[in-house]
Amino acid sequence: MSEKINELIPEILEIIKTLENKNEEIKLNEIAKELKVSIKDIEKAIDIAIKDGLIKKINNSLKLTEKGLEITQYHREKYLHEKIHHSFLNSIAKIFEGKIKDWRKHWHYKHGMDDESLNEFYKEIKSLEGRIEDALPLTDLHQGEKGIIVFIFGGKGAVRRLAEMGLTPGTEIKIVKEAPFHGPVEICVRGTFLAIGRGMASKIFIKKVKENE
Amino acid sequence: MNKERIINIALAGNANVGKSAIFNQLTGLSQVVGNWPGKTVEKAEGTLFFQGYKIHIIDLPGIYSLSTFSIEEIIAREYIAIEKPDIIINVIDASNLERNLYFTIQLLELQVPMIIALNQMDFATKKGIKIDIEKLSKILGVPVIPTVAIKGEGIKELLSKVIDVIEKKIELKPLKIKYGKEIEVNIEKLENIINEKLPEICRKYLSRWISIKLIEKDDDIIKKIQEYENGREVLAYSEKVIEELEKIHGESSIIIIASERYGIANRIAKEVTKIITPPKVSIEERLSEITTHKILGYPILFFVIFSIFSIVFIGGNFLSEILENFFEGILIPIINELLIFLPQIFSKIIIEGIISGIIAGITIALPYIIPFYIILAILEDSGYIPRAAFLMDNIMHKIGLHGKAFIPLLLGYGCNVPACIGCRIMETERERFLAAFVTVLIPCSARTVIILGLVGKYIGLHAALSLYFFDLILIFILGRIAFKALPGEPIGLIMEMPPYKLPLIKNIIIKTWVRTKDFIYIAFPLIIGGSTILEALILTGWIWPINNFIAPLIVNWLGLPKITGIPLIFGILRKELTLILLSELTGTLEFNNILTPIQMIVFSIVTMIYVPCIATIAVLKKEFNLKKAIGIVIIDIFLALLIGGLIFRILSLFF
Repeated sequence: MSEKINELIPEILEIIKTLENKNEEIKLNEIAKELKVSIKDIEKAIDIAIKDGLIKKINNSLKLTEKGLEITQYHREKYLHEKIHHSFLNSIAKIFEGKIKDWRKHWHYKHGMDDESLNEFYKEIKSLEGRIEDALPLTDLHQGEKGIIVFIFGGKGAVRRLAEMGLTPGTEIKIVKEAPFHGPVEICVRGTFLAIGRGMASKIFIKKVKENE
Repeated sequence: MNKERIINIALAGNANVGKSAIFNQLTGLSQVVGNWPGKTVEKAEGTLFFQGYKIHIIDLPGIYSLSTFSIEEIIAREYIAIEKPDIIINVIDASNLERNLYFTIQLLELQVPMIIALNQMDFATKKGIKIDIEKLSKILGVPVIPTVAIKGEGIKELLSKVIDVIEKKIELKPLKIKYGKEIEVNIEKLENIINEKLPEICRKYLSRWISIKLIEKDDDIIKKIQEYENGREVLAYSEKVIEELEKIHGESSIIIIASERYGIANRIAKEVTKIITPPKVSIEERLSEITTHKILGYPILFFVIFSIFSIVFIGGNFLSEILENFFEGILIPIINELLIFLPQIFSKIIIEGIISGIIAGITIALPYIIPFYIILAILEDSGYIPRAAFLMDNIMHKIGLHGKAFIPLLLGYGCNVPACIGCRIMETERERFLAAFVTVLIPCSARTVIILGLVGKYIGLHAALSLYFFDLILIFILGRIAFKALPGEPIGLIMEMPPYKLPLIKNIIIKTWVRTKDFIYIAFPLIIGGSTILEALILTGWIWPINNFIAPLIVNWLGLPKITGIPLIFGILRKELTLILLSELTGTLEFNNILTPIQMIVFSIVTMIYVPCIATIAVLKKEFNLKKAIGIVIIDIFLALLIGGLIFRILSLFF
């Protein structure tokens, strides 16, 4: 039981952070609804978080501490890491990785991201609105499905290239076709058909759009 | 009026919008195709006369943006900004207005005189799109001329509009691109600082444009500004501006600017387009569906490749033999007669060296290169290349390349020369070089002759096949190493899937002709020079000291008979020469009398890996530069010797 509540903590932190950014009131019942758990669990989780020094109460409102922010960041990076495309060799290496302590180093050495790209990346995930779980890599979508770009994660060159081809945050894309053997994805964006390699497609994070919306 | 009135026009626009078709309509066969200085990018120029003007036209590479992602973009931008053509014809695709206007907006920002050719009007109509041309022209503030380039419609009107603009009969009022308020404030601040601190650079570029490029983190502009004494101050300020903007938007400034431009493009496109009929699924779309189908796509790809092979190599072989027989049987005896008055040594150098070189060039160029160029042009113009790349992307990723590299690699099995030319379908210089580097390791048909004639005949087909397999592993390993070692950010596949189009015969002929001409200019001198020098070495007897010099390497390290040194040297001319020479020098066709099985394997491996032939070197020099060509040659010779020696030692342990 407590395991489940511990898992809830980073997600609650994330929601609090987003609401804080938007200067909105924090309502526990809404958090519970979004995470699909009971209010009781949320209360329990928040108590633990306060005890651990992740959140502090200021004037009846909740605010993330330095440590709380760190946890949120770690949570986001872990999620992204799980989602992006790994080559076969990387997948094997991943088994032996264990818990990653220094993400920045990890991205740099294992994923070949330079300082500039990393700075962009951290700006991006810090300012991300909403839960990270809402963002899915393009490769998780299937033929015919649509989504809106939330952010693009990758080197400066790749981000620029994609933006210039019309893939900017907020743009709707439709999956036209997936090539077999984990090949590229064909998408339709702004009326143009583009093929995007699987590695790059897995770094485009999008929010799925339901057909009837 | 005696003075010739000259107009310089540059054609600019996205890829796949029919820019080349317009260029071909304007210039026809008068065009000259070469490469941009020091770049692997085709440069097409042409001249025409119209209403008393001499019009010089340059076809800029097809690009999506004026940033500095690819070599093409740098070339186009530098040309527009520095050379300042009198007028730019921006070719845009009527069926895909929004994405094309993104580029138009960037041209407008450069504030260069321009008019727009709204091309592929027929295709747009077919898709049920109607464009209010007058309105578009009014919004953009420049003339917009509808064209259907492949049919030649609208070309005359385009030219007369160019003249109208040049003669100032039409006044251009190009749209001023306005960004969001907080961006505009910062652009203005940056502009003031640049005007004040860097007046020199403002003479070359517009200060507003520099400001926007700085906000976009354009590496090229940043580098240029760094060169100035006051540059650092400007850059420090722009960093502050960027930080501020990124804080407001929560996004990289690169994305902020791109989003804004697309926003503008989207608004304009929406305002002027009307979709009359909902688009039906056309034959082209269905064809696209089938050729990228996850099951059907592969047999089709196989069939296409098989056809290319049959046409280029079987047909090429046939033609090549006819030509060779003609030269050897008829032409050489005649020349021999003509040169009878010369001392024998000279006539031999002329015949065996110069004439043989020309023959080698012709028997390679005509039968193989021309059919290949025709097929390449058809594949390019029809839109099949992106489909093949789509299917093969994942497999190519294993050697650090993406899908498009599949085509040159495959062609390499036939002949490395067209394969290296095919490498230009890759986007960046880095990828082009990487693709060429692995392509030359692919055993071409000449090397196949050696592998099959030695190892296949005397040891068995299984041994020959394992050599091919070994070569694939080698390519895989070297590809990976080169991928890691070459500087630059590897960019995955981002490729437009243009609709299928019926290639135009006129365009294909023009493309093939200008490319062949270019090839002949570059490759022939090298081939002829090389064969003359080698022939001279033989006749003067200097070849023997050279053979003695390399003997320790051949005998001690590779474990081969001393006599094999000469055929290995001559293999540079044409790889199949190695076997012919070996039999001539040893006086036997029974190679098992002179070589042990291990020696055959070593000999074949060395031949397979070391420098491609001189025609390939010529093409590498043409496509890249001499330094890179020599680099590849040295690496390949080194590898061939290293691996040959190692294989000799390893095999000697077992057999």
